[in-house]
Amino acid sequence: MEIFDLLKKSALDFPERTAAIYQGNSVIFQELFAASRDIAAYLKKLDLSQGARVALLYENSIEYIYLYFAIFGAGLVAVPLDTSLRPEKLKFILDDCEAEVLIIQSKFAGHLQQLSARSGSIKYILSNEEIEIENKRLVLKKLSGLLSSGIGRSVKSLVTDKSGEGPSNLPDNLAAIFYTSGSTGTPKGVMLSHRNLVSNTLATIEYLKLKSNDSVLVILPFYYIYGNSLLLTHIAAGGAVVIDNRFMYPEVILNTMEKEMVTGFSGVPSNFMILLNKSSFPTRRLEHLRYFTQAGGAMAPEIIRKLIAAFPSKEIYIMYGQTEASPRVTYVPPDRLREKIGSIGIPIPGVKVQIMNEDGVEVPDGVSGELTVTGDNVMLGYWKNNDEEGRVIKDNRLYTGDLARKDSDGYIYIIGRKKEIIKTGGNRVSAKEVEERILEHQNVAEVAVFGVYDDILGEAIRAVIVPKEGHHITLDEIKQFCQLKLADFKIPKIIDFMDSLPKYQSGKVDKMQLAKK
Amino acid sequence: MPALDKNSARSDLKEFIVKAFLFGNKNQTFADSDSFMDKGIVDSTGILELTSFIEKKYGIAIEDEEMVPDNLDSINNLVGFIARKLG
Repeated sequence: MEIFDLLKKSALDFPERTAAIYQGNSVIFQELFAASRDIAAYLKKLDLSQGARVALLYENSIEYIYLYFAIFGAGLVAVPLDTSLRPEKLKFILDDCEAEVLIIQSKFAGHLQQLSARSGSIKYILSNEEIEIENKRLVLKKLSGLLSSGIGRSVKSLVTDKSGEGPSNLPDNLAAIFYTSGSTGTPKGVMLSHRNLVSNTLATIEYLKLKSNDSVLVILPFYYIYGNSLLLTHIAAGGAVVIDNRFMYPEVILNTMEKEMVTGFSGVPSNFMILLNKSSFPTRRLEHLRYFTQAGGAMAPEIIRKLIAAFPSKEIYIMYGQTEASPRVTYVPPDRLREKIGSIGIPIPGVKVQIMNEDGVEVPDGVSGELTVTGDNVMLGYWKNNDEEGRVIKDNRLYTGDLARKDSDGYIYIIGRKKEIIKTGGNRVSAKEVEERILEHQNVAEVAVFGVYDDILGEAIRAVIVPKEGHHITLDEIKQFCQLKLADFKIPKIIDFMDSLPKYQSGKVDKMQLAKK
Repeated sequence: MPALDKNSARSDLKEFIVKAFLFGNKNQTFADSDSFMDKGIVDSTGILELTSFIEKKYGIAIEDEEMVPDNLDSINNLVGFIARKLG
């Protein structure tokens, strides 16, 4: 089965059911399938190489969904782009994946001057509005002009008419590339196949017991692998995604949850912390809600307890995953949560988790080692980065970099990380990347970056900077510099200046001691 | 309670937003009517910093139910909201 089949099957089984709701507009599966097929038919006619990459710079919306599925329908490879990235980083990704098509929402058209003029591989640009492009070599197409042939036709007739589809995708063909921050600071393209994404989608549907009457409130971006999982699972189950991009106003989100009678809500720890501490969430009844899911970093036990106390009758799924695992790896069954708080749970169906020592041997229960994953969800590898790939995948086994142990019931507990990755507000940030960018400032001699506990973000990024002798740097100056060099979520929240950094005898910075200061 | 000086509130709020969220980059301009959400100026944790600044600066308490775009999502909305609270 390939990804486009997930939509096709739901369109055949539930043509009249609502598939997505956004800003008061809704779309049924028949319409979603027809629109995807129209865009796929257009993409198929373009002069593109086999398996060409189609980059998608688009906020969560109904359009995102049909565009995303259309890429698979045309037999091409989707590259969802983080809409918060600066043009410099977007350009790096477009060049790295050699995207031939860029689908861009008009609100991001301001980036185009920097992107299209220099990203040599792009041949076509699609947008929802007329936008100006200086590079005359590029072909610009407005999306609305591509939608029509499917309107008013039954799903069955669309399915039998193969003219709108590309070549069939084999399960192990590359389906999508999701870029994540690498430990070296350079974004890494995680290559996921149809088998990876479909197997993980079906396993997630199984343990969440998703049905066609489920609908989830989506506040997480679809370009983020957790958001992508919400999209694929609900479309595949014949359920609905209710999109609301206004999480900065939690009351608005809560009103949408009630108005649209969603059965599920999914968030990262900071979402739950904000809802529980800064909104009327705990007092809302949310009568139609069946479940919560949480992933994207460890949520503090007291927040889990607060969530249970506020909603004792709802199913709460604490989950663990990685982009490299498509992403779900483990979950805590809700009926075991109270006794297993602090655990990331047990493997999801079809996935095997083993804790290995440094010699690659599985350790007994209770002993810590590196959490490894095997199964159909393990990525194909990193795009054009064999060195990094070789470090994390050995004998088809994914080495997650997380240190963990299992209890006697087989429940897994994360106890630390091998690499210095800060998990802040659901984002993984490489301390090394932030250090490298800050060191590019001409007056910075040394810098140490690490995570510190934060009520809302889980971890906040703290940077301690040593200016070069005889030079003075202001806080505003360094913040502005970071803004030019880093995505907003990677900019340190706390910045301090010191004359020197504490060090071990080896010369390595003693971040443990720094964190206490 | 004294009535709000809207012009000075406008400039104080703008100064805070530029400093806290645009990292002092005055070249990144925005209009008083621009939506913070649409322009990507403030995010879900930033709005908490902004409301905490307003509570301290103007001595008002912002209830959870008041955390809505109509009250908070632009300089104009903020000034109107603070004036109503003080009025």
